[in-house]
Amino acid sequence: MPNANSKPWRRAIALADMNAFFASIEQLDDPALRGRPVAVTNGMRGSCIITCSYEARACGVKTTMRLRDALKLCPELVRKPARPQRYAEISSRIMHALGCITPLIEVFSVDEAFLDVTASQKMFGSVEAIGEHIKQVIYQVSGVRCSVGISEGKLSAKWAAKQNKPDGLTILPPEQVRAALAGRPVDELCGIARGIREHLARYGAHTCGDVAKLPMSVLAGRWGSIGRRLWSVCRGHDPAPLELDVAAPKSIGHGKVMPPDTRDADTVHTYLIHMAEKVAARLRKHNYEASRFYIGLRTRERWLEYQYRVMPTDSSSKLRRMCQHFLQQHWHGEGVFQVQITAQDPQPTGQQQDWLRPQRDQQRALHQVVDTINQRYGEFAIAPGVLLGRSDMPNVIAPAWRPEGHRATIEGARHVRKTGHHRQRRTAAGLPERIS
Amino acid sequence: MKLIMQREALLQPLSKVVGVVERRQTIPVLANFLLQAEDGVLSCTGTDMEMVLRATQTAEVASPGSVTAPARKLVDICRALPDGCSLNISVSDDQLRIDTGKSHFSLSTLPVDEYPDMEKAEELQNFTVVEKHLHELLNGVAFAMANQDVRYYLNGLLLEIHEQRLRAVATDGHRLALADHNDLQAEADVSPSSDEDMRVIVPRKAVMELLRLLEDSDERITIGFGRNHMQVQMPGLIMTSKLIDGRFPEYQAVIPPANDHQVKVDKQTLRTALHRAAILSNEKFRGVRLEFTPGKIRIIAHNPQHEEAVEDIDAEHQIESLSIGFNVTYLMDALAVIKTADVLLLLRDANSSCLIREPDSDECQHVIMPLKL
Repeated sequence: MPNANSKPWRRAIALADMNAFFASIEQLDDPALRGRPVAVTNGMRGSCIITCSYEARACGVKTTMRLRDALKLCPELVRKPARPQRYAEISSRIMHALGCITPLIEVFSVDEAFLDVTASQKMFGSVEAIGEHIKQVIYQVSGVRCSVGISEGKLSAKWAAKQNKPDGLTILPPEQVRAALAGRPVDELCGIARGIREHLARYGAHTCGDVAKLPMSVLAGRWGSIGRRLWSVCRGHDPAPLELDVAAPKSIGHGKVMPPDTRDADTVHTYLIHMAEKVAARLRKHNYEASRFYIGLRTRERWLEYQYRVMPTDSSSKLRRMCQHFLQQHWHGEGVFQVQITAQDPQPTGQQQDWLRPQRDQQRALHQVVDTINQRYGEFAIAPGVLLGRSDMPNVIAPAWRPEGHRATIEGARHVRKTGHHRQRRTAAGLPERIS
Repeated sequence: MKLIMQREALLQPLSKVVGVVERRQTIPVLANFLLQAEDGVLSCTGTDMEMVLRATQTAEVASPGSVTAPARKLVDICRALPDGCSLNISVSDDQLRIDTGKSHFSLSTLPVDEYPDMEKAEELQNFTVVEKHLHELLNGVAFAMANQDVRYYLNGLLLEIHEQRLRAVATDGHRLALADHNDLQAEADVSPSSDEDMRVIVPRKAVMELLRLLEDSDERITIGFGRNHMQVQMPGLIMTSKLIDGRFPEYQAVIPPANDHQVKVDKQTLRTALHRAAILSNEKFRGVRLEFTPGKIRIIAHNPQHEEAVEDIDAEHQIESLSIGFNVTYLMDALAVIKTADVLLLLRDANSSCLIREPDSDECQHVIMPLKL
């Protein structure tokens, strides 16, 4: 019922933030874990905490903490290996369900979504009702609690959601945004990190209120449109639109952290080929090919890296040969910590005809068979022999994961229907995050 | 070395040559000009090891000599000096000195014998051609050259000599441009060495420099070819370039012999319509769709923001119905060098290339491969 007492907002943006998402799902699936401190790590060997339950947080355990250190703070901490597929499934389910509130959804990360609920005010009557409905919908489809912030823009909604965790609902009306932020340190806003904070500190601006008083040119001159946006947010208005469309990928890459200081040539080779296969399969799956490939090995001192230029390809064997060439030419046995291979500026396959390229690619038929088998029986059900010795570390669900498109690197359950358009993760200030 | 020159007289050869000097150098001497003064002439040479430019200018040479000095600094100083000032240029204590009025500069030098000598590398077979015609020929195809393609032989332009015909061809695989010029003359003392056509691939950078340096003049200039080098002698300036050692693809294969459909259209109308439609095409892939119905062409462009441009234009053709996609930049590039008022498009179907040429001449032909939309 429309609320006659309050005028609808000119713009209303909600952020739904799932509380301790992975840990909540673990507690949901295993009742024995409920009420207990839980930490999620990458497999049973991952030493770093990806996320932890609120019970663990109460003991001082934090995300990114080493498990060893966390156990000192909280000896009864239960470690659970991450199950990315399950998280992807629940996330897809949530994002799909939110579509019944509004189709204007920006999936911001695996456990966060912005909703433009401006037009929904008429249907639900008030932003409070919308907020309650969002929480209810998410709980119903997933059993997970969430915090919701509603305000006039993305950054203020995200800030609001953070004020009341877990399971909160914070409404920050547009006319109160400036006053609410005025006394808060500027780095409380999502996407504002050391660089911008220190830059502003040189102008004596520490709080959002200070920033609002600076001339816009101070921010715009150094940080361009990000600076202009921050200035505007501090004055109570975030102009940034929701990113509803799937942007074409700028790159498609995979990397993996190795056992530190690996010097064994076969192991390094296997890790690199493993990632190359993933890149090639993902290119093919989304019908892309690339002509520039970055290959890198992180050693103690620096990245050993090379940029390959080739004819546009999505071929596993070409990528494998590239990796072998790279190892021969650019690696001389240094200890390796991490491998990375990235296809840069991928282009849709076969869109532009090229009269100098053979039309029939012999390998295409082979790739089709391999991809079909792997799609049905799982990743690497069929794979080059060298991958028999590949790392058994499970795939990690990246912050950039999306329910659909080329960022759906981990697939949830198959019954999940299309959830509309989504796009890559950006921090709220518009800074793209490093994604590999 | 000691000479006197007007600022403008010195600046002219220097600014012609400076284009070849790379901003970042691994070999220090390549950041320098080689300056040689002799017999009332100053010559200035710059190179990147692929290409050499040598410009000459008359000067009051008091004592001959040669030196190498930082190219960009020298040009910047000359540009910044006031108009019409007279420069005293001399070398003392391994420094190049420039003195004029109250301004004094001394620049570091490097030994002349460190400077690479590429020019007298080999015997060349020389021809003459009208300067502005050579410019026109190169300009008509240069845009179709590949840039940093792994198929290195595409990062340049094919010159092919068949009797009096000089043909230029460039392709990046997506499109091909071909232009002919029919007034090439062999220099008197040169007899055709064999029946075979002479074919060379000129590197992209040399082509771009020539486009910058060739002037709109009716004078005949000399162009010479050897196995590994080519040389163009313009008034007061000689460019020598290495050639790309590779085999250019058999381009005749891509030129459709006779396409089924012939479309005649006013070039300017088509160009401006494409230009407008391009604004709403995908910024990255630049696709436009051309829909042919009797007497008409409809141009349609979309972008990921769901914006749309539709342009209808009249054209002479008999096509019942055909819809074909192209990269709009390729179409516009080709139309930009067509000189006639009308233009012919020859098409077969949505998966075959389009040939663009002038209605009554095939001196200039453009092949554009379609885009799947």
